[in-house]
Amino acid sequence: MKLEVKNLKKSFAGKEVLHGISFSVESGKALGLLGRNGAGKTTTIRILMDVFRANEGEILLDGKPFVPRNHQIGYLPEERGLYPKRKVLEQMVYLAMLRNVPKTKAKENAKKWLERLEIGQYENNLLETLSKGNQQKVQLASVLVCDPEIIILDEPFSGLDPVNSQILQDVVKELIAVGKIVIFSSHQMSYVEEFCEDIVIINQGQVVLEGNLNEIKLAYGREQLILGDRNKSVQEFKQFCEQELTEILQVCGQTKDALIVKLLEGQTRKDLLKALLEKNVEVEQFETYKPSLNDIFVEKVGD
Amino acid sequence: MRRFFTVFEFEFKSYLKNKSFMITTILISVLLGAIMFLPNFVDLSDMLGTSTKTESTKKDTDEEEKSKYGILDQKGYVKDSPFLETFYENAEFKIYKDEKALKKAVEQEEVEAGFVVEDDSHFRYLVWNNSMYNDGAEQFNQVMTFVHKQIYCQKHHLNFEEMTGSYDAPVQYKQEVLGKNASDNYWYSYVLVVASFMVIILYCVMIATSVASEKSNRAIEVLVTSIDSKFLLFGKVLSGALAAFLQVAIILGVTLVSYQINRDVWGNALDPVLHIPSDVLLAFAFFGIGGFLFYACLYGALGALVSKTEDVNKSVGGLQMIVMIVYVVVLMQLDNTDGIIVKVCSYLPFSSYCAMFVRIALGNVAMWEIVVSFAILVVSTVFVGWLAAKIYRMGTLRYGNPISIRTALKNLKGE
Repeated sequence: MKLEVKNLKKSFAGKEVLHGISFSVESGKALGLLGRNGAGKTTTIRILMDVFRANEGEILLDGKPFVPRNHQIGYLPEERGLYPKRKVLEQMVYLAMLRNVPKTKAKENAKKWLERLEIGQYENNLLETLSKGNQQKVQLASVLVCDPEIIILDEPFSGLDPVNSQILQDVVKELIAVGKIVIFSSHQMSYVEEFCEDIVIINQGQVVLEGNLNEIKLAYGREQLILGDRNKSVQEFKQFCEQELTEILQVCGQTKDALIVKLLEGQTRKDLLKALLEKNVEVEQFETYKPSLNDIFVEKVGD
Repeated sequence: MRRFFTVFEFEFKSYLKNKSFMITTILISVLLGAIMFLPNFVDLSDMLGTSTKTESTKKDTDEEEKSKYGILDQKGYVKDSPFLETFYENAEFKIYKDEKALKKAVEQEEVEAGFVVEDDSHFRYLVWNNSMYNDGAEQFNQVMTFVHKQIYCQKHHLNFEEMTGSYDAPVQYKQEVLGKNASDNYWYSYVLVVASFMVIILYCVMIATSVASEKSNRAIEVLVTSIDSKFLLFGKVLSGALAAFLQVAIILGVTLVSYQINRDVWGNALDPVLHIPSDVLLAFAFFGIGGFLFYACLYGALGALVSKTEDVNKSVGGLQMIVMIVYVVVLMQLDNTDGIIVKVCSYLPFSSYCAMFVRIALGNVAMWEIVVSFAILVVSTVFVGWLAAKIYRMGTLRYGNPISIRTALKNLKGE
């Protein structure tokens, strides 16, 4: 299965907030939808779910127009909640039945996911009696109770402690492994790096970066190196480079214990190594720089 | 359609699981049922006006409770008249010589009221606080009328007994009602108008709250992406309507059946309220259910305009006012059901739910009028239902301050 979003445009009260969003995702892969607050992620997801209608553009599934109600979709919206005064199992069965799952199957699925998310013991409790984290897990279980082909999670990790986050990560990995399409938006880049092969960064209603995460990282790191001196602090080493090696490199930034440098035009790694040895530098780190997703994100959408 | 029933079942169960709903239903039914059986165990004859107490007991009591009046009758027209005793069986008259003393006695409540007789056809009635049902002057007026007649007869040498005998000859009549008897139907019509008003006020607010609850608990987005919002709204409205219908039917049913069983023991005393003809009950059921659904859809739409359940009352305030105006107008016109006001009300969907069955019970109404009124109600309900579903969908993700109905309609027009 391949889900394609093509040139989505959306206006509210005459103001265009999406200026042609396009991306695609295939079965067995997870797509990370990234962007700052108000960038247009949730609006894009709501158009995908037919909560809003796009002014322009189309959404295709395997080349045909995508109608969300004709498919099983597990959707965890950003604004989420369930029925606080109803029992956990009862409302999960209800939500599954609204998605056309027969009652027996709905009950079976609900129990399975409650067990998987380690909250099976609460199935007959009122939702309001559960802790916030467990309520969040019930919400996630209710997303999966209809056995969805496509799973869309808007900020799924908010409100989860590290242990529960790990459980959710494992569940998402399992879903990807069994060939589901997973789209999720998050501000927590570490989770996106963990299991997203592809990312889309949206800024002010348009896609500013899209593609395979590894390739993007490689492209961003190309011609940049991580350089460290065993005998100098990062600040001392930076001063040294800016005084002694100005003909070979340019300092682009720094990490906790090393510098990020870029070779000047016509210079090679061999030239740099030779110069370092000549200047008696005891090299601690010398490797290709691979930026974190966070670095790429800040560079792309930061002010 | 299956999903509509899923919503319907889920929402209906929430009423059944609502403890206060169930306790109210059971408690009121048992209480009213028990009251209907009460005369089997307790003597209610006093309350029902079928006293069996002996005359002597009555007299003793009357002696203690004799009313006191003051009278200033300087020319002696009334004070020694036998008519005083005839009309005031249980009263004592104190004679005063001047008006000042009489007024003082009235002011200090030594006497209930005072009469200043000026001549055989004029008197003044002195009373401290005039109550709504005070008929003291009316009664004294009758005494004076007889006194006047007697004096006239004396002056003209006529036989007073003969004259009064021929003028006040007892005429007997028997009434045969060929159409409707308003005096029989008045009280149960009154009760049914009050009942239908209460049902709308109580349950429709519950429906509006139920519609607002999903926005309040933020479940709405999951729901509208799972099912058509029309099914959601109608599932809620119709389950609320069924719950209301069942509660009223149970309470009314238990009361009517219990009364029917004990009707003889009650001496038919509650017939004006509880012996409701089946055609009126049928009209009440049809127009009541139709009107309730009409209002339920309206309240549902208003519930969809708010995002917090605590804002529901603010949103439905205007509609509550309409319901109350209809209630007051119909009750005030209950003795004039063939008047233009009730006639107009019986066609408007906002008021036909009570105005039409009142006309059926108390007035003259043709079959075609009933059919037209019901058709208007049904069409209006379908239209309001459709509008409510649109508003519900439009208001889905609008959190924050309540949306005004005008803004909602403008937005719908824009779409």
